[in-house]
Parts: sequence; structure tokens; C-alpha cells
Amino acid sequence: MWSLKRFPALWLLPALLPVALMTIYPVAYALWTSLHSVMLLFPGEPFVGLDNYKRVVSSNYFQDALRNSLVFTLLAAPLVVVIGTLIALFLQRRFFGSQVVRSIVLLPWVLPGAISAVLWIWVFHPSFGVLNGLLRDLHLIDGSIPWLTSPRYALVSVVVAHVWTQIPFAVVLLMAALSGINSETLEAAAIDCRSALKRFRYIVFPEIKAMIVVLVVYNALTAFTSYDLVYAMTGGGPGTATTLLSFQIWRESFSMYDFGSGSAVAFIVVAISAVLIVAITRALPSDLFAEE
Amino acid sequence: MQRGLHPFLTFLFASLIVLFTGGPVILSLIGSVVPDRILLDGSKGLFSEGLNFETYRYVFTGQLPDSYLAENANRAMISDAARQVPQSLLNSGVIAFSSMVLNLLIGAPAAYMFARYIFPGKKLTFMFLILSPLVPAVALVTPVYIMLQTLGLVGTQAGIILVHTAKALPFTVLILSVFFRKMPSEIFEAAVLDHCNHFQTFFRVALPLALPSIGATGLFAFMLSYSEYMFSMVLSGDAATRPVSVVMAALARNTDVSWSLLNTAIFIAIVPTLVLVIFVWRFVVEGLLSGAVKG
Amino acid sequence: MRTLFAAGMLATGILAAQPGAAEDLTLEFVVWNYSLETIQDNVKKFEEANPGIKVKVTDYTWPDYQDSLVLRFRGNTPTDVIYGGQDWLPAWGAAGFIAPLDSVSPAGAVDELKKDIAGFALTDVTYKDKVYGLPYYADTISFIYNKKILADAGIAVPTTWEEVTAAAEKLKAGGMEHPIVYEYNQELPNFYDAFVAQAYGRGAELFDKDLNPLFADPNNEAFKQLQWLADAYAKGLVQSETHESKIIPAMNTGAHAFTIVYTYVLAALNNAADQPRAGEFALAPMPGSTHATLGFAKSYVVTAQAAADPARADAAWKFVDFMAGQPYTVAKRWAVEKGLGFAQLPLFQDKDVIDAWGKWADVKSLGDQAAIAKAGTYTEYSSVWSAYFRPLLAKAMVGEASVEQTMKDGADRWNQLKEQFANR
Repeated sequence: MWSLKRFPALWLLPALLPVALMTIYPVAYALWTSLHSVMLLFPGEPFVGLDNYKRVVSSNYFQDALRNSLVFTLLAAPLVVVIGTLIALFLQRRFFGSQVVRSIVLLPWVLPGAISAVLWIWVFHPSFGVLNGLLRDLHLIDGSIPWLTSPRYALVSVVVAHVWTQIPFAVVLLMAALSGINSETLEAAAIDCRSALKRFRYIVFPEIKAMIVVLVVYNALTAFTSYDLVYAMTGGGPGTATTLLSFQIWRESFSMYDFGSGSAVAFIVVAISAVLIVAITRALPSDLFAEE
Repeated sequence: MQRGLHPFLTFLFASLIVLFTGGPVILSLIGSVVPDRILLDGSKGLFSEGLNFETYRYVFTGQLPDSYLAENANRAMISDAARQVPQSLLNSGVIAFSSMVLNLLIGAPAAYMFARYIFPGKKLTFMFLILSPLVPAVALVTPVYIMLQTLGLVGTQAGIILVHTAKALPFTVLILSVFFRKMPSEIFEAAVLDHCNHFQTFFRVALPLALPSIGATGLFAFMLSYSEYMFSMVLSGDAATRPVSVVMAALARNTDVSWSLLNTAIFIAIVPTLVLVIFVWRFVVEGLLSGAVKG
Repeated sequence: MRTLFAAGMLATGILAAQPGAAEDLTLEFVVWNYSLETIQDNVKKFEEANPGIKVKVTDYTWPDYQDSLVLRFRGNTPTDVIYGGQDWLPAWGAAGFIAPLDSVSPAGAVDELKKDIAGFALTDVTYKDKVYGLPYYADTISFIYNKKILADAGIAVPTTWEEVTAAAEKLKAGGMEHPIVYEYNQELPNFYDAFVAQAYGRGAELFDKDLNPLFADPNNEAFKQLQWLADAYAKGLVQSETHESKIIPAMNTGAHAFTIVYTYVLAALNNAADQPRAGEFALAPMPGSTHATLGFAKSYVVTAQAAADPARADAAWKFVDFMAGQPYTVAKRWAVEKGLGFAQLPLFQDKDVIDAWGKWADVKSLGDQAAIAKAGTYTEYSSVWSAYFRPLLAKAMVGEASVEQTMKDGADRWNQLKEQFANR
């Protein structure tokens, strides 16, 4: 690592400026809104301190949404990274048709949330869904399983769909990281260590740990703030079984015309996300932020 | 390298992966060539009437499917929104490509700085970049909209490109910094010995080595922009500038779009990007697996 | 700063304009994108008849429409004429976003047109005794059933909700897993509307004339209807769909017999071009003692922004009058070409409309239903209240909350909002 005396403005400003533009003012605005009573129907925007926060946190909707978002994240993020790692490791080999598989794996990535939702609705639909049809043809079930309309199954179904959309990205990054491992290291390991599992644990994993941390953080964030896919698949239902915190933000602002409360929920999401990220980076230390 | 896996297991895993990732897409392909009246009728075999490409014809030419020309069919009950798909693909392509290029041009130098240098304010700015995507986009819609309204960018592609670029940058920088970090120091020491300045080292040494990773990151930025919905929706005002994510969301909730037409639109939306992605991915993968990064 | 800039531009524009060569005025028309090609064609015809006025169409999708419009209002994006919805009209009127039509129209024009507007639609476009919109599309919520399935099973068309349950149970015993398919999405205003429609069928009054909520009383018909819904779900008679566009393929698989949706969905259900079971669906009067249902109207509304500028106000009125005023050519076109319902009374007698609609519905029953349809209760805070109430309704339906508690919470919140709004 080299040391510089001055802040390398030329290198960094082009990146920092757009981000700052899209972040500083909007976030400040949102923060200000959350501390004031900003409702479309009422003139004036008086300062109300933490009232919006208190009101939002004590509502039933919030508690359901928080629980769902947390469960969703705790299921989705690890699943994506684990499945992504397994697929990436598998696809490192060359076998007949491996190039085709590597291309097909990318398919879920090219789809906007609305499309993925339609496809998975088709898979899970009670009346004309493919999964139910298949299970029925295989005589595994009699009636159709209400994947999307039963509180028990709905959350799991949307997790499956979400994981599906995030896997290609994980695979791409992990394959890139895996290919960065020195081949001599791997050959030496193959000689020293017979067990593939041990090789992974002691040789491969440490090399890709930084990328795994990035992926876990990214997926936790994405899952926690997820909106498009789940909304298109279930609209938050049945009841509040798949209602996520991101829905509440939109709802408070645009359906209830209460921008103050909407922003308050947003910042609660920020606080929780920050906690999540700190927890993850503490649990999986890597040299991402180290200074030599 | 690692010992080969039993061929059967390889085949099994490969099939599972293909089924899981590709299955739903194949579904949409089938749905697009089988009209609703057969698809929904459990008693008829799926392909009993052969393959039907009339929905594709409708999207590209506006010519109604034959069934709509029948005596008592309601000619008007097919939505023209489906015909916006090809144009929207172009729009999405332009927006996503611009966002990707901007991300790489601006993000790579920044990532390189963070990866290989220490300087005053490093921790602060790095933290700022990493923490900026924390606030959910949903909460930022109003201020961003107002800001872009003042700049006169609402309803333009430039506005959407700006927002998408800013959205992807933190991740672009983060991911590329990981890649730059992993490069062996010896290469850089050699460059210094050759009297390369910072920029030359970056441009002539680091960049070529990082090409595959840059490909992967560029792909990410492209995808993020392509599939983004919320800002695209509020910032695009008419069909001429509207990206495909917004058009698709509308089609999915349109009563006058039959299931078959919807799947046609979906498949049309998938194909060009898939081709592009595969093309770039080949470039990336070939680069990765042929040892471009290895010392 | 920006106003100064705009004023400067305006001044320059006025100075630069040659006398006698008027600049084209551009109206900003914001719509949801149902049949955009038809809208654009209508606009073209207006432009041809009105040289000097251009209309720029901006469209959003229906689910995003309200939110996008709120953003436009808050961001002061130029907007002149919009599609208005009955549930937002009072709120937007109270917030000063929209203007009463008589502020932009020639004296007496609106009163003339009022005479031709159906009852429930007129209520929907009126706020504080002023008419804010002319109807674009009006419809009712219908109880729709599959004729063939009922006939094959020997079941008579149900006329009360108890009969619906009996019919559904008989069908379920015969192997139909979920005889009723229902649009269940707490994020959509229609979710509440459908409930109100059913309650109206029973003759329910949800609010008294002073806008006090009545539905928390267990003897209230709306209360009973929620109970009916909860029971139907508990008995496994109902399958939920997130959107009406999924109800169409679902019903066409023949796996369901009943649904409750906007009437125009019937046209899609019976679409011979696509649907395997086209022609098997019909509407029945809403079950319940009065068979009334909910009627609603979407309208063309002029924004306060436009009304404030005399030139734009004039152009905006011309446009609204063209689209929804006499001789109702545009409204008729929507009805005949697209099967869209309307609120302009003369069209009910129009032969072309009757012929076109005969393809997918019995026009007489449609007319009968429209005649007894009632408007919903909309106040400045009702859409906010509805957003609050819908998740409660959703939970009660699937048994996650008691009907009693749900209705009580709804009534409490309504009263709270009413008071809050009165004191603002």
C-alpha cells in the first residue's frame, strides 16, 4: 500500500459527487421529513421530534412487517451465498456442457422483479400452477398446495423466488474470486490434503472470504429492503404474512399521505440495516477494511 | 486441479441447476407459443394445435392474432401496451449501457485508489460510499424526484441514467476494490521501478489485469439498471423513454393481456439481454478461467 | 428562483411573439395507460378540431397512478388535465390540487351536463357541492358466476349470501376445491370497494348522514358480510388472487364458479378470442336483500395549476368538454370499442352500444344493476382511512383477527381522522 499526502480528489471526486448528489440531499430531506409532521392533507409542517417514530413502531403493521423482513433476510441472504458458492465451485470444473450451464445460470439475473414475479406465480399458482400440476401428476398430493395464499407457505415461496433472482450475481462474483486463486496453491493443496472439504475450508475459503462478506452484506441489504418481487407476487398477503418493511414506507407515504411516518420507517430500516452489516462484518472478518 | 466428480453426480447437479435457474424461463417460452384457450384447458394437450406465434406477430407488427378476427370475438380486448416492449428494450439497453459505462469509468479509478493507497480521509469516504445505499430507495423517491424536477430531468433518459449510476457506484467501487486488492504487489513494485506514475500504473498495469473483473462488475451495473423499477417508473413519462421494467410491470397487471401475450412479452424482453449477457460473460469467463489474472 | 426564471422566459416569450401568430399551447394530460392508442387517437381528433392547442399525454400504470400524481403535485410538475378517481377526489380537492369545473367553463355549461350524469357517478365527481370532473369511465362491481358449471351441477343462481355458501359447499363436495375466487390484495383500493359492494347488496349503510361509522355494530349488514367472508375462507371455499388479471385465467380453467370483480372483467372473461370458456360467464344481481352494489366513476379533472392560468384553463375546458361532454362521441367510442362502462345516461339507449355489449353481457341486467348502484362514501380522509383499514380487513378475512375487533378498530380510526381533519 502506498501512502499519499493529500486526498486524491481527481480519482475520487467523479465517483463521490454523483453518489453525494443522490444521497446527501435526499437523505437529509428524508430525515427532516421524519422529524416533522408532513401530511398531504394538512397545511404546515410542524416539528414533532420523535413522534412519527414512536407512532410507527407501536403499530401492528410495523411489527408484522419487521418480523417478516427479518425472517426473509435471515433465510434469503445465507441461502443465496451458500447455494451460489456451491454452484460456483461446481462450475469451476470443465465437463461436457459446462459452458451451457454457465450461461443458463445467468438467466434469473436478466429479469426485472415484475417478470420474475409472473414466472414464479405461474410456478406456484393454486389453479394453473406448474408445481402443483407436477406434484399432482406424480401423485404426491391430492389437492393443490396454496403456496402463495397460505400464511405458512407464502413467505417461503417468496424467499425461493427472491433467492432465484440473486443467485447468478453470487455465482459470477464467486467464480471471479475463485479464479483469482493461484493455481500452484491449489495444486499443492491437492497433494497435501486429500479431503475436498478440508481443502475448501483451509485453502479456498480464506481466499474468497472477502468476496463472501461482500455478497452476504449485499444480499442482506437487498433482502431487507426488497420490494418489487414480493409486492408483485403476493401484495403483502395473505393477511400480513408477506408484508415487508419496504411496503410500509410506500404505504405510509403514498396511501396514507403521511410522508413523515414513511420517512421514519425508512430510517428505522437504515438503523437495522446498519446493525445487520456490522454484525455480518464482525462475524466474518476479512481484510476488506484493514490498513496495512 | 480437483479430482473429477462421478459423471452421474455431475449430470445430476448440472440438471438441477439448469432446471432451477432455467425452468421458469422455459415456462414462459412455452406459454408464449401456446394460446390461452389451450393452456388453461386441462383436457387438451399443450401442443395439440402446434406452435402459435401470433402473439409475437402482434407485438412486432400490431396484426391481431387470428382468433381475434373470428365472428364474435371482441377485437379490442387486446392491450396495445404489449406493443411497447420492443421500444422499451431499446430504452433499457441505452440506459443500462450508459449507466454501466459511467460506473466503470468513474468507479474503477476510485476503487483502485481505495484498494492500494492510504490517504487522509480514506476511511471516511469509503464508509460514506458503503453506507450510502443503506437508505431504502422507496424513501428517497420524493426528494430525488423534486431534485430532478428542478434540474429539468424528469421524463428524460438522462435523469434515469444519473440515478442508476449513483445507485450502482457504491457497489461497483466496493467490488472492484476487492479485485484490485487481490493483485500481487510484485507487479506494482515492478511498475514503480519502471518509473510509472500513479495513473500509468493504474492504466497500464492494473486495468489490463482486472479486465475480467471489470467485465463482471460492468455486468452488475448493467443488470442493476436494467431491472430497476421504482425510479424508472416515476422518472419516465411516456412510452418513448420508458424502460422495459416499467412496461413489464404494467403488462403483468393488465386485464387485456392474456397469459400467453404476457409470456410472449416476457420472452421478448429476455432474449436480447440474455444474448448480451452471455456474450460478455463468455469474455469474462474465458478471461478468468484461462488464467488471465494469475501471476 | 425558479419562478423568477420562468417569469423571465414567459416575458421573453410574449415579447418575441409576432402579433397574430399565436404560439401553440400545450396541455399536459396525465392518464393511466388503459388503451393508450385509443387515448392518443382521441387526442389527435381533439387537436384537429382545435388548432392552436396541443395535448401531451403522459401515462403511468394504474397501480402507480395515484402515487405518481402525488409526486407530480408535490414536485410542481406541469400538469393540466388528469384522470381523477372517486376515492382521491375529495382529498385532492381539499389539498388544493384540483379545481372545480365551473372555474374553467362557461357559465351554466356544467349544470347542463350534470343532468345527463348517472346518480352514483355524479356523487363521485362532486366535492363540497361543486363538480370537479366529467365522467370518463363508470362501472359497477358485479357478482359473476359460471353459467355452465352451475347448470351442470343443478344449482340455481344464488340470490342471498347464504345461498352462495350453500352453492359453494355443494360444488366443493363435488370436487371443486375453491368454488370462489377473490381478489385479495390489501394494497389495492379495489379490495375495500369489493367489500363495500357486497355490503350494499345486503342493503348496508356503512356511515350515517353525519359520516359516523355504523359498521362496528354486529347487527350492521356490513359487519355480517365481513363475517360471511371470514366464514367462507374458514370453510376453504375461497381462493385468493393478487390481481384481477389472474382471476381471468383462473376462472377459465373451470376450477372456480364465483367471483366478485369490476364488471369490465366480465368482458375479458368472455373474450372468445382468447379464453377457452368464453361465453360461460354472466353476472347476477349482487346477492343480498336489496341487490344494490357499488358504482364508481373515473373522470377528467382539471388541475388548480391549469385553472390559475386563463389560457390554459380555457384550453383545458375545451379538452374536457370534447372528451366527456356532448355529443358524447368519445364516451360512446370507449363503450363500443372497449366495453368500458359509462355514466352518460343517453348512451344506455344507444343502439350501437347495446349491440356491442351484447357480445359479452346481457345488457338489460347491466342496466338494471347500474340503476340501483350506489356511490361509496368518500371524504378528504377516506382514502387514507381505507389504506389503514384494508390490512385489517385482510387479516379478519383469513381469521387472523376477529371481525368485531377489526370493525371496532376501523370505526375508531375513522372517528380519529374525522376529528383530526376537522381541527386542522
